[in-house]
Amino acid sequence: MRTNGHGAARVGIGGPVGSGKTALLERLIPLLRGRGIDLAVITNDLVTHEDAERLRRARLLEPERILAVEAGACPHTVIREDPTLNMEAADSLDRIFPDLDLILIESGGDNLASTFSLDLVDYWLFVIDVAGGDDIPRKRGPGVIQSDLLVINKIDLHPYVGVDLQRMRAEAAAVRNGRPVLCTNCRADEGIAAVADALCDAVLYRGA
Amino acid sequence: MSSAPEALLTALQFGDGQFPGGGFAFSWGLESLVADGRLARAGFPAFVGGQLQHRWAGFDRILAAHAHAAASDLPRLHALDDLADALMTVDSARVGSRRAGRALLGTHVRLGTPGAAAFRGGVAAGQAHGHLPIVQGVVLAGVGLDRAAALAVSAYTMAQALCTAAIRLGLIGHLDAQRTLADLRPGMARLAAQDSPGLDAISTFVPVSDIAMLRHADQAQRLFSN
Repeated sequence: MRTNGHGAARVGIGGPVGSGKTALLERLIPLLRGRGIDLAVITNDLVTHEDAERLRRARLLEPERILAVEAGACPHTVIREDPTLNMEAADSLDRIFPDLDLILIESGGDNLASTFSLDLVDYWLFVIDVAGGDDIPRKRGPGVIQSDLLVINKIDLHPYVGVDLQRMRAEAAAVRNGRPVLCTNCRADEGIAAVADALCDAVLYRGA
Repeated sequence: MSSAPEALLTALQFGDGQFPGGGFAFSWGLESLVADGRLARAGFPAFVGGQLQHRWAGFDRILAAHAHAAASDLPRLHALDDLADALMTVDSARVGSRRAGRALLGTHVRLGTPGAAAFRGGVAAGQAHGHLPIVQGVVLAGVGLDRAAALAVSAYTMAQALCTAAIRLGLIGHLDAQRTLADLRPGMARLAAQDSPGLDAISTFVPVSDIAMLRHADQAQRLFSN
């Protein structure tokens, strides 16, 4: 079941450079496929096709299910003010794979101000990490506040970077008025199922 | 169009660099020229002037004008689109024109611009490629702009896109961009107002940017689509 009424559900994954967006994708893809979800991915690398190539090399999906869209040095623009190239890429995936359930659109690494156009995605999540500092939620960036789901990644690193994880999580929940915050350690596959559950519940009506 | 202010506002909306048509992701060879050190800040106005004179005026302008006149004639549009495809010998320019055209067309389909859905139907059915000048002719006619205004929007969006790409590439400053656009304005206005030549007059010769686009296709490190 899809929410937008015209093809696969479209889910954005945004967040700062190095927060773990691609790592999250690498964990989510096999989990979602294991639940019988037919999916494809669009990446928005800033300067290269590195993320798309990384996913292709990992052989998690057929190469034709992974498209790369150039951002013209404007990672904000390509997902918000002018997401037409991403919409065209998603439309083409819908045409090529008529049974597609889900398209994951990974933003190029950006900053805390990035958000997705509501005309591009049905739902979007924002990935930050503990190594970026526990003051990120307090900075109240639009990505942290407005996203449907906030993911705090690399939680295993918190003792090494002097971060009070519980406080970081509590502050994130506070600035988001209680909207969901989930913690992950993508390298250890920790917390990924909860992200998949949230995503499925929101746009596919298909829980765990 | 019921009034001059309404026509002006329409042109402003669809000529605006913020209009979501995907144009920001294309540099039409500029990125490679800057990376190779073949274009300096002082040479940028002449570069854009050359693009307007030797690419837009002799190619895009003629095709856009004919598409504007044939905006409700699908077989004619398909033929024009096929001609555009055949005449674009540089692969990344041809692919870029298709991608940019389809992106612009997609936005107009969603906005309900008259003529856009019918032409997109042809693209989806494989009867047309969706090249940018053809799409511009169709959708700018669809929003009610006359031929001269449509061509002025087409010229301006090209020049403006090159300016913003140059700013992002660090080649020029924001004031350079405005000075360049102001200097080019009389020439753009003159070309937009001229009678449209026949299709036999189509020509394009911009070897510097054509070669740069050919080289760009093989670059692993790039910000722009072409």
